[in-house]
Amino acid sequence: MNVSYKWLKKYVDFDLSPEELQVKITFAGIEVEAIEKLGEELNQVKVAKIIDKKKHPGSDHLSICHVDDGDVVKQVICGAPNCAVGQKIAFTPVGSRLGEFKIKKVKLRGEESYGMICSEKELGISDKHEGIMVLPDDAPIGQNLGSYLNLDDTSFELEITPNRPDLLGVYGVARDISAILNLPLKTPEVIIKECDEKIENNLILQNDAPDLCPRYTARMIKGITIKESPAWLKQCLISIGLRPINNVVDITNFVMMEFGHPLHAFDYNKIDGKKIIVRRAEKDEKFPALDEETYQLNENDLVIADAEKPIALAGIIGGENSHITEETSDIVIEAANFLYSSIRKTAGKLKITTDSSYRFERNIADETADLVSRRACQLILELAGGTLLKGKLDSYPNPTGKRLVSLRPSRVKSLLTINISNEKIKEYLKLLGLSFKGEEKDNLTFEMPSFRKDLEREIDLIEEIMRLHGYNNVKTFLKPQNIMDKKIFSAHRMVKNILVSYGFSEVINWNFGDPADLDKFEISEDDERRNNARLKNPLGTSFSIMRSMLIPDLFKNTLFNINHGQKNIKIFEQAKVYTRKNEKLATEKLHLSALMTGFLNPVYWGDNQRQINFFDLKGVVEEILDNLGLKNYDFKKSGEPFYQPGLATDVIYKKQIVGSLGKVDPKVTIKYDLEQPIFVIDIKLDDIFHLHKMETPVFKVIPKFPFILRDLSFIISKQHNYDDIISTIKGVNPGNIKKVVLFDEFTDKNIKKEFRSLTFSLVFSSDTKTLTDDYINNILQNVIKKLDSKYSIEMR
Amino acid sequence: MKEEISKVLETAKNEIEKASSVHELQQLKSRYIGKKSVLNSFMQKISTIPKEERPTFGNILNETKNQISELLLNKEQRIKELEYETTLKTESLDLTMPGRKREKGSLHPITKVWWEIEDIFISMGFEVAEGPDIEDEFHNFDALNTPPDHPARDLSDTFYIDNDVLLRTQTSTVQVRVMQKHKPPIKIISPGSCYRNEHDASHSPMFHQVEALVVDEGVTFTDLRDVLNIFIKKMFGEKIESRFRPHFFPFTEPSAEIDIICVKCYGKGCNLCKGSGWLEMGGAGMVDPNVFDILGIDSKKYTGYAFGLGIDRIAMLKYKIPDMRMLFENDIRFLKQF
Ligand SMILES: [Zn+2]
Repeated sequence: MNVSYKWLKKYVDFDLSPEELQVKITFAGIEVEAIEKLGEELNQVKVAKIIDKKKHPGSDHLSICHVDDGDVVKQVICGAPNCAVGQKIAFTPVGSRLGEFKIKKVKLRGEESYGMICSEKELGISDKHEGIMVLPDDAPIGQNLGSYLNLDDTSFELEITPNRPDLLGVYGVARDISAILNLPLKTPEVIIKECDEKIENNLILQNDAPDLCPRYTARMIKGITIKESPAWLKQCLISIGLRPINNVVDITNFVMMEFGHPLHAFDYNKIDGKKIIVRRAEKDEKFPALDEETYQLNENDLVIADAEKPIALAGIIGGENSHITEETSDIVIEAANFLYSSIRKTAGKLKITTDSSYRFERNIADETADLVSRRACQLILELAGGTLLKGKLDSYPNPTGKRLVSLRPSRVKSLLTINISNEKIKEYLKLLGLSFKGEEKDNLTFEMPSFRKDLEREIDLIEEIMRLHGYNNVKTFLKPQNIMDKKIFSAHRMVKNILVSYGFSEVINWNFGDPADLDKFEISEDDERRNNARLKNPLGTSFSIMRSMLIPDLFKNTLFNINHGQKNIKIFEQAKVYTRKNEKLATEKLHLSALMTGFLNPVYWGDNQRQINFFDLKGVVEEILDNLGLKNYDFKKSGEPFYQPGLATDVIYKKQIVGSLGKVDPKVTIKYDLEQPIFVIDIKLDDIFHLHKMETPVFKVIPKFPFILRDLSFIISKQHNYDDIISTIKGVNPGNIKKVVLFDEFTDKNIKKEFRSLTFSLVFSSDTKTLTDDYINNILQNVIKKLDSKYSIEMR
Repeated sequence: MKEEISKVLETAKNEIEKASSVHELQQLKSRYIGKKSVLNSFMQKISTIPKEERPTFGNILNETKNQISELLLNKEQRIKELEYETTLKTESLDLTMPGRKREKGSLHPITKVWWEIEDIFISMGFEVAEGPDIEDEFHNFDALNTPPDHPARDLSDTFYIDNDVLLRTQTSTVQVRVMQKHKPPIKIISPGSCYRNEHDASHSPMFHQVEALVVDEGVTFTDLRDVLNIFIKKMFGEKIESRFRPHFFPFTEPSAEIDIICVKCYGKGCNLCKGSGWLEMGGAGMVDPNVFDILGIDSKKYTGYAFGLGIDRIAMLKYKIPDMRMLFENDIRFLKQF
């Protein structure tokens, strides 16, 4: 629903800018979905005066005018019959834009026109299109039309939640604003003067469906004059996006938008039998509506009928057969309420949504019907003349009783942890229209206003108090402790889970170590792992230090298990290692060590068993590093003394060695009576967490253009390694070569010694277009040229 | 010429009927109706026949073409149906043979229980704190209200690295470090390795403990009992009740030992609980104001509680592991059970 700044200000005298008001509305609990500055378009239009007019030589109905907009005099061609010299008019100069329509310099039958003299319809002010808009003589030349017509305003599009139908009118929104600003709410004074003639003598009301129509009121006015609405009324309607039509229709719309309760006006003289019957439609009854459609109804639909025919689809749309026209002089004002579920069903079934059905569907109050009826009569008498008949017809079989709700101030305080006095509670609730009824010990009783059906329980009142007090004015106490690093905490677990998923079993050994292991592993005397924390009172020499490596214990676990009949072993340990030199306590660092030996996979009928090799090990390491989010890590030949030369690498990250992996030198394994090849991993987890900030992944746009695959197969000297080759390939066109995957490696008797055959699969794509075959072939040729010049390859 | 055409149609019919694969049909298609086909060669001869016969001839040619292409299509469909039938007949498996599984790895039972403990306490708003295994006497004893001449120091046989440097005998050391660094409110658990110089069937020189510390305004003995109760029930099941028994710890006052109903006999008495129906789980108590004073926390404003539980013991009870030594033997046949 829309409300406007100026209209709201009629009821609450706030001293806020539209932007400040928006914030207040939002924190009153009404979501502002959009905010629009009005009149900006009309401010391109100037008040101008026609200073001369002559007939267009080439046309019967066009005339050539000159208009003065206070700045310059322009020639304009005008086709309107009502344009005359001396008139003040709305002049839209070249370069302006009205809606989708851009004003340009044009030539009309040989005469140039530098702008446009506009009708009200062209300006979006009303539906009037016969003739140009003529302004009063005192309109100041040169003023912007928007300001002159007082159409400068700000409109707020509000999202009204279904529990608050009372906010479906500008006055209702103003009530909440007045409450939140603690400013008085100015209620329009409604006084109506009736004549002596009684309505009962002119019209009969018969409510045959009180279950669907809990209340129906009708008032009658005779002798009105249908005409244009005054400026203030038009401004209100325009400001919330409605088009003015005529005074009576405008008033019913205005009152609906003011109080959120729809009404309808019938032309009395079109009501057959002078009788209004509220009844269910007959099966297949036809109803010709205002929207020029004819609807087929059934017994579930409610109609307002006269003695002969339906004249309105209750609460949804009026009839084509009874609406207000220029000739109307006597009218009946309907203000009623209908069962919301019935309105929703009928409107849904017939696919009609009107401002009226939208409101009735939301269960508005019966009581407001009389208010809007009197308000509409007041305005009609004022703006359309006529006389109001005495009394009203009113079918209201079950008036809603008083609704009282009690509230414990102690409950308010404990639930909201705010300190609030009873007086303040009363003040807040009074501002929302609740009336205070009495006070006992820790118990305040209020009567609910009819328009707030949503207030039924104590907690509903507490919510209202909270809303006005301000949610964000409630103190908060808790802060995160920030003692644990959640990312590292989860990373520790993730690393273990990856190893388990690769078939590793976790072991836990005592953190005591045997210095002899360091000798067996050929750790040099100046290695930092020799700076041991030694126990003064150990259990024995083989437990006399705190271990500085985890791998020796994994060896002992392996031997234990081999001795117990296991041959294929995958184990890991994640634990601290300790060194101590000059530090007071010690340096403790979390390591992950893993060991694999034997066959990679268990016996399976569909596969051959395969011995573990270096690349099985490397895959595990890569999996872990990738999952930790490391990029640009590297593998370089390892200098660790216990690996078999040439079969081990260090893991390099940010120029530091953060781990190693490889096949253990048989010279070392034999010292532990291990005869089968042993592969180990050692990762310095703490060092990695120190160097690497774990970041939350951020979404990247999924490529729009297709990928294209090409294979490349060649024979190359073994002295060139994969890393080199692959970066050479990628380097040829890093933008379009998205990925290079090693597909195959082999050597056989047809290939020279010291040479091997490699096959790569290249993935091509572009971020901006679909790559053509020619384009890709060209890149591929460049790749081949580059490889050949660098490595002298032989294509296969 | 008409006869020739109908002859072509006849042979095409026969050959299509004989074809047994989609590939053969494709060859037939190009032979009969493709660009270089027999029928196309007739088309080129159209100029040799009289003008008035040309339309009829063209019609016949087109019709023949259509007929052949329809025959090809029908045959192709029949071949595909046949292939499908064959697929269904030949592709049969012994579905009872074992599926391809990855080899199962395993987490150590201590880790499993460790994570479960962390998760239960994290769900109650605790954070997990860590500290060094190699500690000084201040954090291990002095700060915990155990001055040098205090008899409590004899209670544990401590491994020493240096005169003042030792292997922590409990993870309360972490609590001291947290209290030194962070202002209340504090709500942490600190799981970790601890060391005591004793080694027999029921004692390991290295073992795992989790200690908890809560410090805030208004922390009560009820809070302590509630948290432990919830923890024990989440860990061992709804049926397991707990009780507090008065005891002595230097850093808590009042201090208590925590017992839980025997997880094996549910209180009736058995060999696990040595007939008592109860199992000892750990120690607990309200933080001694002296500890706050030593660490510079306002003991008039704040109260707190602390407790310690053995992770290894919980694992043994949970998985019914009879011997503590099995936990550190690392027998894969043992490890893969969990
Ligand atoms: Zn028992």
